[in-house]
Amino acid sequence: MAMVDYYRPLRLNQIDSSLQEEIKRTCGVDVELCLECGKCTGGCSNAHIFDLTPRKIVQLVKLGDEKRLLNMDSLWTCVSCQLCVDRCPSHIDIPRIMDYMREKARKKNVRAQRESIEIFHELMLDSIRKTGRVAEAPLALKHNLRTRQYFKDAELGGRMFFKGKLNPLSPKVKNVKQVKDLFAQTIDKKEG
Amino acid sequence: MAIAYYPGCSLHSMAHEYDISARLVSERLGIDLREVTDWNCCGATAAHSLNHKLAVGLNSRNLNLVKDMKLDKITTPCAGCFSRLKTASLELGDPAMRESLQDLGIISEGAEAVQVEHLLQVMLEEVGLDKIKQNVVKPLKGPKLAAYYGCLITRPRAVAQFDDPEQPMALDNLLQALGAETVPWSHKAECCGGGFAASDTAIVVDLGGQVLEAARQAGAQALVVACPMCQANLDTRQQTIEADRGQKYGLPIIYFTQLMGLAFGFTPKQMGMQRLLVKPNQLLALHG
Repeated sequence: MAMVDYYRPLRLNQIDSSLQEEIKRTCGVDVELCLECGKCTGGCSNAHIFDLTPRKIVQLVKLGDEKRLLNMDSLWTCVSCQLCVDRCPSHIDIPRIMDYMREKARKKNVRAQRESIEIFHELMLDSIRKTGRVAEAPLALKHNLRTRQYFKDAELGGRMFFKGKLNPLSPKVKNVKQVKDLFAQTIDKKEG
Repeated sequence: MAIAYYPGCSLHSMAHEYDISARLVSERLGIDLREVTDWNCCGATAAHSLNHKLAVGLNSRNLNLVKDMKLDKITTPCAGCFSRLKTASLELGDPAMRESLQDLGIISEGAEAVQVEHLLQVMLEEVGLDKIKQNVVKPLKGPKLAAYYGCLITRPRAVAQFDDPEQPMALDNLLQALGAETVPWSHKAECCGGGFAASDTAIVVDLGGQVLEAARQAGAQALVVACPMCQANLDTRQQTIEADRGQKYGLPIIYFTQLMGLAFGFTPKQMGMQRLLVKPNQLLALHG
């Protein structure tokens, strides 16, 4: 599909509705209801650092421009604050679309431009997969090592340690097998 | 009143003072909080960011554990956990999702019936302001407070089904019942930067900075929160925010349960006030 300029009115012969239908089917979110009013972008907590704003993201879903959606930086800097969906007159669940596209990016091995955020998510899931829970201090340390920011927040970590805010112990769920099985059947499952 | 209690990971480490104060004030009010046996992490924000079914599954397991405890309601002091638990509970209304998680051995019949409420909601709707007022022995006389709700206690409204997402008042009303004065302000339901404190600190410094600046401009001398993530972002990053904006804030970020405890006559130490990074000295001095 040719790259489409989303600033211009839609040309019907340039539209691929398959992504739109896929999102409607799997997430129950219908972007056809978009009024293009821009309330989502107006309220968005992070629109000022987004490469593509929520209103444009909805537009790109309508156009079927999956490539741009999977590669955009906004996919990873969305803070899931839920302002867009609450202010949308049509209640379009944009955060759900963001979650869906991130899941899809992973399946297609499209890595985030801002690797630090994706790595943090992965390390957090590693912890849950192994123990069923998350211990903040070990997670932050592992993240520093993986992203080669060896001294990040060292001073803050010290202050928090003396306040007793860092628990060095990793708690564990007893029936962690059940949690592991859930991982195996969802995020770790290889597509047949 | 017996309610299943889901502390979440933060309350077992960084937010220990939230856990202690929540338990003590609940006990004083006759709420029998029973910690969910063998609970697992809600996954926020990593799980829902990367796999929908995993996120729903993790939280459905917790709901199922509540059902096994023969309880019909779960409460959590964390806004993130609340949002994920309640989202799962709503997703379980879909027979396909329910059957699929039953097939995986995560849930059995009845898990979808477990009600989810944030602890603030329990205080307002189950206990009520009248009973809270009756328990106040030492009214909160102190600095002006900014009630900060953040995102997930009231949003998205279809999930949270609590208070008003644009102009929430539940926490203001609670603090006023304790004798405190709250300020009207612009950023009570704006985002603090959520789960990005470690992974992209600049986002938290930016968004958290807006929240602190708005509270300062409204004349607040402390912020009151109902979420360990909001507390951690605004408290632990406050020095960085001050350096970034060239503005000294010195705003203590206090859990609402800590202030309930002080008004109920518990000591600052019992409420873990000494664990806050930005010291609440002014508040404690005025409260006496």
